[in-house]
Amino acid sequence: MKDVVVLTEVIENKVQDIDFELFGKAKELAGVTGGDAIALVMGEGVNVDDLPCDTVYYVEDAKLSDFSSLHNKVALKLIDDIKPKIVMAGNTSLGTDMAVYVAAALEYPIASLCSNVSIEGDNIIATSVAYGGKLLVDTELEEKGVILVNRGSFPMETGGSPAEVKKIGLDELGVEIDESIQFMNYIRPEEDVDISKFDILVSVGRGIDGEENIEEAKELAEILGAEISASRPVIDSGWLPKSRQVGRSGKTVSPKLYLALGISGASEHLEGVKAKNVIAINTDPDAPIFRVSRVGAVIDIFELLPELIEKLEEIKG
Amino acid sequence: MKICAIMRAVPDLVEEIELISDDEIEPFAYIGNERDEHAVEEAVVLKEKFGGTVDVIGIADEDSEDEIDEPLAMSLAKGADRAIKIMLSENSYRKVEQAKALSEYLKDKDYDLILTGIQSIDAFTGMLGPMLAYGLNLPFTGYVTEVEEIDDNALLVQKELGGGLMGEFRIRVPAVLGIVSAERPLTFVPLAKLRKVMKGAEIEEEELEIPEIENVKVLKYYEPEKPEIVLLEGEADEVADKLIEVFKEIDVI
Repeated sequence: MKDVVVLTEVIENKVQDIDFELFGKAKELAGVTGGDAIALVMGEGVNVDDLPCDTVYYVEDAKLSDFSSLHNKVALKLIDDIKPKIVMAGNTSLGTDMAVYVAAALEYPIASLCSNVSIEGDNIIATSVAYGGKLLVDTELEEKGVILVNRGSFPMETGGSPAEVKKIGLDELGVEIDESIQFMNYIRPEEDVDISKFDILVSVGRGIDGEENIEEAKELAEILGAEISASRPVIDSGWLPKSRQVGRSGKTVSPKLYLALGISGASEHLEGVKAKNVIAINTDPDAPIFRVSRVGAVIDIFELLPELIEKLEEIKG
Repeated sequence: MKICAIMRAVPDLVEEIELISDDEIEPFAYIGNERDEHAVEEAVVLKEKFGGTVDVIGIADEDSEDEIDEPLAMSLAKGADRAIKIMLSENSYRKVEQAKALSEYLKDKDYDLILTGIQSIDAFTGMLGPMLAYGLNLPFTGYVTEVEEIDDNALLVQKELGGGLMGEFRIRVPAVLGIVSAERPLTFVPLAKLRKVMKGAEIEEEELEIPEIENVKVLKYYEPEKPEIVLLEGEADEVADKLIEVFKEIDVI
């Protein structure tokens, strides 16, 4: 029990970026345990030649071309055979579906919402970002563990010497075909705008407190030549379309300025914020958004916005 | 369709969470987990679409015993048929213990669909939904935003895959779904209505013994480091002036 497995997620025949963030860490951990860093890939027509790890187990079959419940069963069989010390997966939609299933079936302890992982003696130490980012928690997992890692926790790893690829046919595994979850198709929501292409984003969160207040933020965006974006609660409330969502389920953005108005900064939101400058306005001085901001102000956005808009209008004439 | 939604009490992030010792925290207050509110909303949406009943199971322990009542009453006000409060025998951060206990409780309840919020803010030792599904030997998928009926045996669900991409999946019922957001915004329940429902609410109560599965333990809770930040202070007009200076500095105006 020495290996470190990255349980990769494949969407449209491509191993996802989040997994490239895990390979470097997997190699580092495998260096400590004296085992291999293994990428586990299930799909069809996937390029597995450039995965930066020691070994790739690639189960290729048309039945695995898009995610289904069969992926859970195949992952379970392989991981049961490999008996790794650590299984890493992205804390994502497909990553959690597969990894938690495997953990439950093989009785591996789990750490989720993780931003770091290390090995101490026989055990695994994981750091999780809990309570909306207000607290970190270090947990100790006995002997083995499944670690669900937040996006952006480790640098992307590419290149290095090519891994040894072991191709495995689905038939060889003797896994019972499971059709309880079947893929039908992908849906790409229509987009009115691509917020990832803008230099300045005025982004609103729960603190905007009502659809009627969005106008004021839009006004500010217009003066700044910015677009308006939002965190999940605003989208959930139907105040802005889904195309405006920043975070795990929405877009990753890297503008020059990200002006966060009333955004608390939960980790699923921050996963999508790669801005050069984050400026946060929030009434809660402990809001996690301040931990990623260069500049901040603890003030009511509704007091600030009219003043700011007026002054900017004067400057811009 | 016989639907069950699960509502967890979690620390209210608007209030302080006190660090008592390395491995113990004391939240000032508890509220219903936000994603579970979406699970309850979706359960009510599905009842309206397909007919059937909605039971809401509130999970609490001795710390959150009273505070789970409000989100349960809220569920009734929104259209749930039954509210059941499950008191856990122990306050446990180990989600696998909760999942085992709960799957034991749910195994003979014959729900067609069990909905949970995709993740609770205190879920650092696993996720309830998929672990519950495993315990019940049911299929699970998470990050679900929409559910349609195909026939008596299957549903068509939309699932977020990240980066704005969605996938459509056919899932056999009975099943467990992790809801990330309901098909419609959360129904607003006026305070007066909530109070009225709370007065008359019949909340059934059950106790559940939690097994001990001690393969994961908390070593330490701590606050993240606070990096250097320039705080702009003063009245609104002063903050606005200072903000404009920063805009100029970083060359956005």
